[in-house]
Amino acid sequence: MLIDAKNVTKAFGAFKAVDDASVSVEEGDILGLIGPNGAGKSTFFNCLTGDLPVTSGTVIFNGADVTRLPPEARAALGLARTFQVPLTFESMSVLDNATIGALLRHHNAREARAKARDVLQRVGLGHLVDAPAKSLGTPGRKRLEIARALASEPKALLLDEAMAGLTPTEVHEAIELVRRIHGGGITVVIVEHIMEVIVSLARRVMVFHQGREIARGTPREVTSNQAVIEAYLGRRRVQHGAHL
Amino acid sequence: MSITLVQVIVSGLLLGAVYALFSSGLTLIWGMMNVVNFAHGDFVMLGMYAAVMVWTALGGGPFAAVPVAAMLIATLGVASYFLLVRHIMRGPMLAQILGTFGLALFLRYAAFWTFGADFKTLPDTLIGGSFILGGIRFEGSRVLAGVMGLAITLVLHLILTRTAIGSRMLAVSEDATAAQLMGIRPQRMQALAWGMAGAATGIAGALIANFFYTSPTVGETLAILAFVTVSFGGFGSVLGALVAGLIIGVVESLSAYLVGPVYKDVIVYILFVLVLWFRPQGLMGKT
Amino acid sequence: MKRFVIPGALGVLVLAYPLLTADSPVYQRLGALVLLAAIGASAWNIVGGYAGQVSVGHAVFFGFGAYSSVVVYTHLGWPPIAGAPIGMVLSVAVAAVIGVPTLRLSGHYFSMATIAVAELVRVLSSTSEFLGGAQGLGGPAMPRTVFDLSFISAAPFYYIFLGVLAFLLWLTWRMENGRIGFYLRAIKDSERAARSLGVSAGRYKLYAYMMSGAFTALAGSLYLCMFGFVDPESGFGILISVKMVVMAALGGAGQLFGPLVGALILVPLEELSNSYLGGRGAGLTFVVYGAIIVIIARFLPSGLLSLFERRPARQPKSDVARGHAD
Repeated sequence: MLIDAKNVTKAFGAFKAVDDASVSVEEGDILGLIGPNGAGKSTFFNCLTGDLPVTSGTVIFNGADVTRLPPEARAALGLARTFQVPLTFESMSVLDNATIGALLRHHNAREARAKARDVLQRVGLGHLVDAPAKSLGTPGRKRLEIARALASEPKALLLDEAMAGLTPTEVHEAIELVRRIHGGGITVVIVEHIMEVIVSLARRVMVFHQGREIARGTPREVTSNQAVIEAYLGRRRVQHGAHL
Repeated sequence: MSITLVQVIVSGLLLGAVYALFSSGLTLIWGMMNVVNFAHGDFVMLGMYAAVMVWTALGGGPFAAVPVAAMLIATLGVASYFLLVRHIMRGPMLAQILGTFGLALFLRYAAFWTFGADFKTLPDTLIGGSFILGGIRFEGSRVLAGVMGLAITLVLHLILTRTAIGSRMLAVSEDATAAQLMGIRPQRMQALAWGMAGAATGIAGALIANFFYTSPTVGETLAILAFVTVSFGGFGSVLGALVAGLIIGVVESLSAYLVGPVYKDVIVYILFVLVLWFRPQGLMGKT
Repeated sequence: MKRFVIPGALGVLVLAYPLLTADSPVYQRLGALVLLAAIGASAWNIVGGYAGQVSVGHAVFFGFGAYSSVVVYTHLGWPPIAGAPIGMVLSVAVAAVIGVPTLRLSGHYFSMATIAVAELVRVLSSTSEFLGGAQGLGGPAMPRTVFDLSFISAAPFYYIFLGVLAFLLWLTWRMENGRIGFYLRAIKDSERAARSLGVSAGRYKLYAYMMSGAFTALAGSLYLCMFGFVDPESGFGILISVKMVVMAALGGAGQLFGPLVGALILVPLEELSNSYLGGRGAGLTFVVYGAIIVIIARFLPSGLLSLFERRPARQPKSDVARGHAD
């Protein structure tokens, strides 16, 4: 069990954004977290990464209790993430961005740079290494964030709505990329809105609604689950491949 | 409780109301556009000089000085917005801080150069001396200043929360882009905010001039007082500034009484640092 | 080889400056003052420029350095320079104490907290008998040994300051190109993203603050050696803090030579302005100063050196890079 979150609750005052949610992710798995807006999936995600401290519950990562640890400590243990709105280092080049990730494992700047170059190549940004990060469009920035996270040699990569704002072609390219990353042995957790992505990528899915988990299983099981359909659409049926 | 202690508290409240007034300007700007005006203390200082000049030139009392100071500093505020603040608002933090700091230095030393370094005071016979009520001595000028401070702060709060233009200003502070889409012009609202803040600050200066020494360097201490008040009350909240101002006024007054005038500044600075460290969002501010 | 001609010529000029100005004590002194200011501004630059934490209260460290030096002389009879390491160690400790709660604060709050702390220290120092109260303390009136560093000519000071500045810039350069430099830039751009990549933002900001404080203290001690006197205003005053920030910002905060460029412009400006305008003119100097600061903030927020930065070559369009306009 690489990631083991038990009974996680996150409350803001009286409002429970996440209510007693648990998830376990095996090494090599791809887990999808879905749910309508405000369902609590992003909050739960941020509890896993350490950006938000939990109100109660525990998070175990790679055998270590990280519940009280800040994001940087979890990153050092091998938990990497990307952001919904890309937070690339705008004053730096693409290469330097990735180098920051690499510096976690390679303290020497030159070694880190070389590692970063390598990762950028594999991710498809090799031809842009010297470009300023701010010259990239949204898909470029998202890809850079992924490269940057990969450069830190993580065990698990958590993607926060990595497909938001991408055209269908770009989404396909991104799905390919995530598949390759997963194929390289990295455990993946994705928070996503787009059904197509979840169905093509995730092995297991967890559905959030109003802070609680309402269904879990394979993508097929979940998309035909009545409770899930109602949560998203009231009482209408969901079309396979529709963008929810 | 001894009469003296009550006296100290009452004068603290009266002064606190004036602190509330000039802090409300600062909190308005801060809340609306996330800019801290490091020149704020010097705006007050110029309001004080305006009052002194009006009295010297025209012999009119603070009644004449208040509108003049209000208009003058309101103009200064709007000018600062258009010439400087508007451009640095979206820039790097360093530029924002430097910008208003430079303005502070500019105004402070312009005052030095124009008026010299000596203190000036308005004679306290301007407003009818003092009277005794319930065993406590009230100085006319301080009572008037306190009452006006309180009144104008409340007016400012009401304008912001109960008028159409106030809600437009608040809309801009929440989300300038959305406000724009609704037909509100953010720059106009922001300029208006600077004007209103300037007016409030100028009035406060004119009121304080009645019983404080006026010199080019008062801005420094007054700025810190304003920062403490705003931090304590919560940035963006005029009502918070009011409550906080009254509290700070009393704290300052008690400190001066208990540990002496030099250390009263120390108490205020310590309070400031503690507020920043332990509750930066203050009593009523947005988090 | 050609690349080294201009820097080489500059280097020779810098080294020979006191000799070239041997007939003019005013200009010699000016050179020393520029270097001293550059040391302070370069020290500030570490935390304010590279780490992006705009402290406007660095005078607290400067004053600690100056007072440490004068105190070891006044109360222990030691040469003032012996107080420099003491001042530096004290400043590192003070930086740690202030830094831990304050560096958590963002932007404006951090700046205000640093101002408040410096002002607090200033007011307290004016009430301390040990520190000479509001009058301050003076260093050796007559030099007792060469270690008292009370030179008549500014030339020895020039070379001492040059050595210290060179060392500081070298340290900064090493940091800039190493892991710490990368991490500080990342923190400045996006602390949240940096932390997600394993960067202990709090720790690095604190290190930068401590290193910055130590060298600012050193500048303070050197100031005391040259000027022979310090009081609460000249040690802890807000003007000291502001000057450090402005010099670094004018030349380019976060750039290695930014503070030096800023000092090269502002120090002569201030000295010449003061001597030509005298008395009331001193006020005018700072009116100009303030105006310059406003102009920099408004038009040149990245400093003068950014004007000379080569624009990066146009990047070829890529299928990945162009998506949505941002």
